[in-house]
Amino acid sequence: MPLRTLVVGLGNPILSDDGIGWQVEEALRRQGAGSAPEAAIDILHACVGGLALAELMTGYDRVIVVDAIVTGQALPGTVSHFTLADLPGTLNSSSSHDTSLRLALQMLRACGAHVPPESAVAFVAVEAQDVWTFGEACTPAVKQSIGAAAAVVAHLLRAPLY
Amino acid sequence: MTRIAIDPITRLEGHGKIEIFLDEAGEVNNCYFQVPELRGFEVFCLGRPAEEMPRLTSRICGVCPEAHHMAAAKALDALYHVDPPPAAKKLRELLYSAFFVTDHATHFYALGGPDFVVGPDAPAAERNILGVIAKVGLEIGGKVIAARKRNHQVIEMIGGRTIHPVSALPGGMSHAITEEERQEIVKIARQNVEFGQFSIDLFEQVVLHNQAYVDLITSDAYTQRTYYMGLVDHNNHVNFYDGVVRVVNPEGVEFASYMPDQYAQHIAEHVEPWTYLKFPYLRKVGWKGFVDGKDSGVYCATPLSRLNAADGMATSLAQAEYERMYEVLGGKPVHHTLATHWARLVELLYAAERMLELAQDPEVASPNVRTLPDQKPTEGVGIVEAPRGTLTHHYFTDENGILQEVNLIVGTTNNHAPIFMSIKRAAEGLIHKGVVNDGILNRIEMAFRSYDPCLSCATHSLPGQMPLEVIVRDCTGAVTHHLSQYVPPESLDRCVG
Repeated sequence: MPLRTLVVGLGNPILSDDGIGWQVEEALRRQGAGSAPEAAIDILHACVGGLALAELMTGYDRVIVVDAIVTGQALPGTVSHFTLADLPGTLNSSSSHDTSLRLALQMLRACGAHVPPESAVAFVAVEAQDVWTFGEACTPAVKQSIGAAAAVVAHLLRAPLY
Repeated sequence: MTRIAIDPITRLEGHGKIEIFLDEAGEVNNCYFQVPELRGFEVFCLGRPAEEMPRLTSRICGVCPEAHHMAAAKALDALYHVDPPPAAKKLRELLYSAFFVTDHATHFYALGGPDFVVGPDAPAAERNILGVIAKVGLEIGGKVIAARKRNHQVIEMIGGRTIHPVSALPGGMSHAITEEERQEIVKIARQNVEFGQFSIDLFEQVVLHNQAYVDLITSDAYTQRTYYMGLVDHNNHVNFYDGVVRVVNPEGVEFASYMPDQYAQHIAEHVEPWTYLKFPYLRKVGWKGFVDGKDSGVYCATPLSRLNAADGMATSLAQAEYERMYEVLGGKPVHHTLATHWARLVELLYAAERMLELAQDPEVASPNVRTLPDQKPTEGVGIVEAPRGTLTHHYFTDENGILQEVNLIVGTTNNHAPIFMSIKRAAEGLIHKGVVNDGILNRIEMAFRSYDPCLSCATHSLPGQMPLEVIVRDCTGAVTHHLSQYVPPESLDRCVG
């Protein structure tokens, strides 16, 4: 059985740079990523977090999430990649309406669901300039990074497992 | 390769913040809270065809797209002067009930419940759904996952998509469901009713049988007497999808009852110089500051508010639980903010029962689900109850249906003033002589959490949760305590693309 891989373009398509995940997903489709049936790669876009995102990952061996990120420490358009295992601990409950992705995956795993390990949940993150203003277009620097982000995803897809 | 730190707290606007200022004696002097605010949605909508709104507004946030979808569809019905066929209204309410079961269950088990099930003084790392599973048993996790899954199936069946439904249109729905689907939904609704009863039983065992928790819920630190708002049906029973907006005063006496298109006569918005947030209040009472009582126009729109504003529940099991809640808490209205968790579970049971009622009605599978609009669009208001409060959509268009003006009052916005007051009251009640610890700060946060505030934009932010800081400053302004939901950040490898 080949590894089942999911690529998720994550974000809100009407919130300026937050839509970058969807645009990278679109670019990957145009490039034909995941089109070979034997590759067992599913590609989709979504605007969810926490439990709902973890539920999307059920049944996959590895997941690549493409999303906008705001660190304030890099130029807009800068592409980073890391895995969930690399992220700082966020085991706590929180005050928004959901739980963290890490916690949600742990819960699903504890309840017997097949979800990927944290080391196999990769993020390809594009430093965003504006994720607070409604708009369908990304800012210019972020838009220019679509190709670079898609290339990082393609590179990760070729890797056997992180 | 360079190294960077991912620290959500460094995001300028991207996190909620509660700041508490102490005086020289170490008592609470003042308190502020800030949450991120998205910009320019109304402007974004202008010039677009109004029929895009059910799809567009459901993108405002990832938490309650179904609520925006429904409020938008109802606003379009009004805008196009069209009355959907009965089957379409029932289908919408059926979808909406499935959504309420999912949303309320998620809040209770993942967010509000851990404070009670695991304990308000438990280490923060245990106050979460894994802590609930550790304490109550693994099967509880399975029940929550199964409840979400089966209700997402219903939302997909009726709404066309699992998360962001697309099926509600001006005049009804884009497609009907089959008889087989209806029967499948009946089965799912029955499971939901059982799950609703299970959840209330759990609340009874864990919370009501523990006097310390009952004392906490009824303590002054979590009590404020405001007006309460909620949609009610023709029997003044709670309804999430349709009805009139009813407001009761702090004594529980009806103060106002209005149709959606009259909302502007009743609701006004106050602004403060220290925040972009608006603070809605009752226009006919007036803004008197962040104070409770009958003379202050501050109102609350939460699950507890809906129960306070209604005369009862429209389904039998939920009605019995409604009566029990008021009996235990000393009659109507209940002013204890933490009782919102209980009210949410009464609503969960009602949503499940209502879903079963609707699914058992053969008309819900009727193919007649659309009345085609044939009049020129003008202006329309649509109101539903979102899980977090009354949700109002108001659109003006030109005669071609192109949007000229848009106004939304979203669920959490109604509660900005009460949330602010609840935080302040909890801080005043819990912080004395400068003594602060994580348990106290968590109890202050519990006041905030009971509202289930939707800080929309951050719901999918990396690493996947809304950061919240609580900062305590002494009389010189120096930070004396700082609680955040994050451990210190680690560095991450970066490849520059």
